[in-house]
Amino acid sequence: MLSTFLNHQWKDFWRSRNKTGSIAAQLLLGFFVLYFLAIAIGAGFGMPVLIEKIFPGKNVIEVFNGFILYYFLFDLAIRTQMQELPTLSIVPYLHLNIKRKTIINFLNTKSISSIFNFLPFFVFFPFCFIKIGPTLGFLTASMYILSVISLAIFNNFFVLYIKRKAINNIAYFAGGMGIIAGLAALDYFHIISVRDASNFVFLQVAKYPFLALILTLAAGLMFKLNSDYLSANLYTEELSTKNEKKVSTDYAFLNRFGKVGELAAIELKLILRHKRSRSSVMMGFFFLFYGFIFYRKELIDSDSFGKMLFAAVFMTGIGILTYGQFMFAWQSSHFDGLLANKINFKDFIKAKFLLFTISATVITILSSFYGFLSWKLLVLHLAAYLYNVGFGTVMVLYFATLNYKPIDITKRAAFNFQGTGATQMVMGLPFIFIPILLYLPFGLINKPYLGVLCIGAFGLIMLFMRNFWINLITKLFEQKRYKIAEGFRA
Amino acid sequence: MLEFKNLKKSYAGKTVVNIERLTIRNGETVGLVGNNGAGKTTLFRMLLDLIRPDSGEVLSKEENVATNDQWKDYTASYLDEGFLIDYLTPEEYFIFIGSLHNLSVAHVGDYLKKYEEFFNGEILNSKKYIRDFSKGNQNKVGIAAALMQKPALLVLDEPFANLDPTTQIRLKSLLKSLKTTEKLTTLISSHDLNHVTDVCDRIILLEKGLIIKDFYTDENTLKELEAYFSE
Repeated sequence: MLSTFLNHQWKDFWRSRNKTGSIAAQLLLGFFVLYFLAIAIGAGFGMPVLIEKIFPGKNVIEVFNGFILYYFLFDLAIRTQMQELPTLSIVPYLHLNIKRKTIINFLNTKSISSIFNFLPFFVFFPFCFIKIGPTLGFLTASMYILSVISLAIFNNFFVLYIKRKAINNIAYFAGGMGIIAGLAALDYFHIISVRDASNFVFLQVAKYPFLALILTLAAGLMFKLNSDYLSANLYTEELSTKNEKKVSTDYAFLNRFGKVGELAAIELKLILRHKRSRSSVMMGFFFLFYGFIFYRKELIDSDSFGKMLFAAVFMTGIGILTYGQFMFAWQSSHFDGLLANKINFKDFIKAKFLLFTISATVITILSSFYGFLSWKLLVLHLAAYLYNVGFGTVMVLYFATLNYKPIDITKRAAFNFQGTGATQMVMGLPFIFIPILLYLPFGLINKPYLGVLCIGAFGLIMLFMRNFWINLITKLFEQKRYKIAEGFRA
Repeated sequence: MLEFKNLKKSYAGKTVVNIERLTIRNGETVGLVGNNGAGKTTLFRMLLDLIRPDSGEVLSKEENVATNDQWKDYTASYLDEGFLIDYLTPEEYFIFIGSLHNLSVAHVGDYLKKYEEFFNGEILNSKKYIRDFSKGNQNKVGIAAALMQKPALLVLDEPFANLDPTTQIRLKSLLKSLKTTEKLTTLISSHDLNHVTDVCDRIILLEKGLIIKDFYTDENTLKELEAYFSE
């Protein structure tokens, strides 16, 4: 039976409508996996040496012990965001003569194959063989290995359990990261010590090797909890959406824009009522902290705007970029309806501009807290904002008329490459490079402020030309609408 | 009202629609019948300017639908769930569609009151998004939204499918009464020969994109159609 399920999933993957997209996604994921594997193997074999280098004079095994729980805490945080719930679309199987247990077993077995369960093997096992085996004996080493496996499996099922309980994982991810950051901070200020705790646990394992079985027991319990939960809740109704009350809303501030505002309001609802677009918005807010990486004191002091331009354009334009890259495809499920109804195409395009302008304005205002670092950043952000609103919007909408791939907005955003095609890849480049090109000549002759002014002026001119751009995009849209609609219908 | 001229569309070398000439007069209720793949939906899509014909044109009130937007003022349609904005509540959707025709929120509310019976208490104030409704109820929302636009031309693709018997009967009498009171021109496709012959005064039979038969209904129509389809 398990092989039949696997077979079906295999077919599901290769026969999916969005095959090229998912293959590309899998390839990219594959590269990530290889990359992390390489790091893990390197870290694993290099660990004895690395520890001695980084913590000279300390007991190597103690440092190693302290590291284990840290790793798994971090692992937990990453998993909450990255690990997929193993989904066999089980609905077509539920009514057949297949034991409930078989289905659950399949779901569980499949989840074990996650890369997250194998990374710790490479990170920890070499050290166990190289160091712990020779110093503490074979039994202890094998118990270390058992503990690592148990912890990995515990994390695996713990995350799945939490994910099954809560659909919205972004809050959980933030919470998880918060707890880990909190623990790290407490650790850093010597209030409590994860390292000591971890060290304590594994010292006990070293002393009484069979204590590792407690961890195995915990993993087993987690597995049981998960299976029980699944078997008790294996009803299609409960696997799908929660039955919360939905209410009608009205965005009064958009009413003043007439029909354009009406369309923008509809789209705002689209963004707020779907997981994928909602998490895009959340990502936008996360990226607000991007500046802390790029805005270094020496760069600010030396007016090196060229090196900070990327972050400024990216942060103030994140809404335009992330939402705009899939433009029109967001509405792929009801695109026919939009075309057949009495909607003026010009209003339709204007609504997009309105939405972009609002999003960029909000995010730019929020980003003004960088003014505390330096007023120069505010100037930079203003220029980037004008560029984004004036020209970024136009570019994004131009590329949107070339995008015929539908997306399923009910799916989550992270590592979802559905609807990603050459257009999306290409689009990011001019978006980022045009302001840099504008700035470059002024940067070279060491007139940074003129460069920033040039970007701002460019954006402002484009903003004044907005009617021209709206007409142009509307025309393009009219020409391409059949092709777009056909692509979305597929 | 409508004129189809030399309309052709083919996919991958296979002709889906091939209509030399077809005229539909004001106030007619026309039923399109034919097995799957006969080209009914494709024909509707070309009429609504959702697909570009390979050749030929569709004229609505003497204007080509592909080059002119005028037809949207008096045409309402519901082909499938792709016409619904499924993340809105029904109320939001009705208000949005109403706003496109300059109906105020109050107007829309008044209008919806008339359809309370049609909705059978399941649509309004249900605190659900359209996507959470059953297919039959989604159909009801789509059809009601189309009728709300007070169209002169109504296009419905298999409106009876997925509807419960009561609603099927209500929809039939609704369409019949609109024909007399509003002089509505209606195009319906359906697999239900009973309903189609009951509602429509003209039947067009399609097969592989070609018009096989085109006649006005009388008491023998149903038998004729049944004979054709059981061959």
